[in-house]
Amino acid sequence: MDARYQQYFEDMPCYLSVHDRDFRIIDGNRRFRADFGERVGEPCYRVYKGFDEVCEDCPVAKTFDDGASHGSEQRLITRDGQTVEVMVYTTPIRAADGTVTAVMEMHTDISEVKRLQGALQRSQERLAQLFEEVPCYISVQGRDLVIQHANRKFRETFGPAVGDHCFRVYKHRDEPCLVCPSRQTFVDGQSREHEEVVVSASGERINVICTTAPIRDVDGKVAAVLEMSTDITQIRQLQTQLASIGLLVGSISHGIKGLLTGLDGGMYLVNSGFEKDQPQRVKQGWSMVERNVERIRSMVLDILYYAKDRELEVTAIDAAALVAELREIIYKKASDLDIDLTVDVAPDAGTFDGDPKAIRATVLNLLENSLEACRSDRKKSSHHLKFVVRRSEPWMIFDVEDNGIGMDRETREKIFSLFFSSKGVKGTGLGLFIANKIVDKHGGTIKVESEPGRGARFLVRLPVVACPSTHNIPAT
Amino acid sequence: MPPNSRPHRILVVDDDPDILVYLSMLLEDNGYVVESAGDTASAFAAVDRFRPDLVLVDVLMPGRSGLDLVVTLRRDSRWKDIPVIVITGNDQVLHDDCKTYLGAHDGIRAPEGVLGKPMDPHTLLDAVRNLSSSFRLSDTFS
Repeated sequence: MDARYQQYFEDMPCYLSVHDRDFRIIDGNRRFRADFGERVGEPCYRVYKGFDEVCEDCPVAKTFDDGASHGSEQRLITRDGQTVEVMVYTTPIRAADGTVTAVMEMHTDISEVKRLQGALQRSQERLAQLFEEVPCYISVQGRDLVIQHANRKFRETFGPAVGDHCFRVYKHRDEPCLVCPSRQTFVDGQSREHEEVVVSASGERINVICTTAPIRDVDGKVAAVLEMSTDITQIRQLQTQLASIGLLVGSISHGIKGLLTGLDGGMYLVNSGFEKDQPQRVKQGWSMVERNVERIRSMVLDILYYAKDRELEVTAIDAAALVAELREIIYKKASDLDIDLTVDVAPDAGTFDGDPKAIRATVLNLLENSLEACRSDRKKSSHHLKFVVRRSEPWMIFDVEDNGIGMDRETREKIFSLFFSSKGVKGTGLGLFIANKIVDKHGGTIKVESEPGRGARFLVRLPVVACPSTHNIPAT
Repeated sequence: MPPNSRPHRILVVDDDPDILVYLSMLLEDNGYVVESAGDTASAFAAVDRFRPDLVLVDVLMPGRSGLDLVVTLRRDSRWKDIPVIVITGNDQVLHDDCKTYLGAHDGIRAPEGVLGKPMDPHTLLDAVRNLSSSFRLSDTFS
């Protein structure tokens, strides 16, 4: 029996050594002898580690102490100087009376395990780095929709986040969203793509495309969901611009056709007037042509302006001089249309900051709209247009009031937007959209009051001192 | 064709004064008697007063649309048979709205003609001239 066990001892594919209470090795197996030499009689700490004294946390010492088995990881140095990582287990060897007389140590080579462990750690570090550094918003949520991990871009944009509910962090909601792609992924384990609008910590709205992916545990159940979101705000803005150009083309289309018909009409009158030798008709026709050419000119210029979004060139504008210039431009048209024109600028109006071309175009647009509104109104016998400019710190106020055809609520609400129902409206309506953009760029506001049949009043406020608005106007 | 079915009196309805002048002169030059109206309300009053043989109406106007006028006329036993030509610069109206809008009102006959702006004067004159029977001028869609 002994011989058989001796054989087992000898042939075990690990280091086996037996130690006495003085830590001397009193027996060792073949593997031990092969890698550490014939060192029976020497202390184990010297043989295995080249130390001069007992190791801290020596498992042999513990076993002598409490008679129980102990295990630990150790690093040994063979007689060739090679480092071997091992897992050590100790077993007490008892005498007949139960006292521990010796301890056997079994060392299993875990170098490969250690190597794999190292590779795994490096791989995990790489992954963590990737997670951190990818320029998308990445977060990991549990079933309770609490954020467990968030990468750098996410934290920079939405704040600390981890430990908080996703719907609170980037939607600023108190409860889960109605459509939650992550929740759906928890249910069916499918990846999803979803467009969202999220809100940064600073309140900025960001358009994103969010992709969810299930993270499964060892049982294959979805333990967490990874959300990766890409910022598409710029794309959406471009899209909106393109869409609005499309809408623009659509909405111009009707206006242009009306103008072209007007031109046709003018030409018909001129030609038939010549044919019939009716100079009065020729005159009437020619004025029709001129009028519609003028409208087409405005439309084309508006479109060109719209197509090239320029930066403001801000300088000091003298209010009185501007008003005089505008009056010069419109007074003839007003008198031709029999519209009573009142123009007034407060004596203390002074100067204000603005882009002269843009401001002139804007106010002129309002004035011309009023003239047209008066012209279109058949119900009243007399029409007026009042244009007043006054200063009310910190604003410069432009007040344009007419008693023309007026606007109903639907029209009023739509006039500054690009898309509006072109019910009888001449031209593109671009003029007001651009006017609104210009006013906003200056950091000002524009308001309109109107009743159908009664008239309209436009109030433009511009800051006297330049303070351009920092936010973008949506294109529609 | 029997002479008494030939339209003599035409009512033109459009919010653009230039177009009213143009169409009035064009039609008068060709032997028609023309009245004009600038919106749906005054158009209806004009129908009552003028008894047109044909109504030429622009669709997109401020207030009630021209199609509203068509429906109102068709619902009135006095005016329901007056042929109507609708003119518009809007493609959607041209192709869809006439069918959908009027289809929504049961039993309302579609306009006898739909013309797109800008219209060719000859096309217009032909349409007006040929309106002795109510056939749809679908080949004049632009």
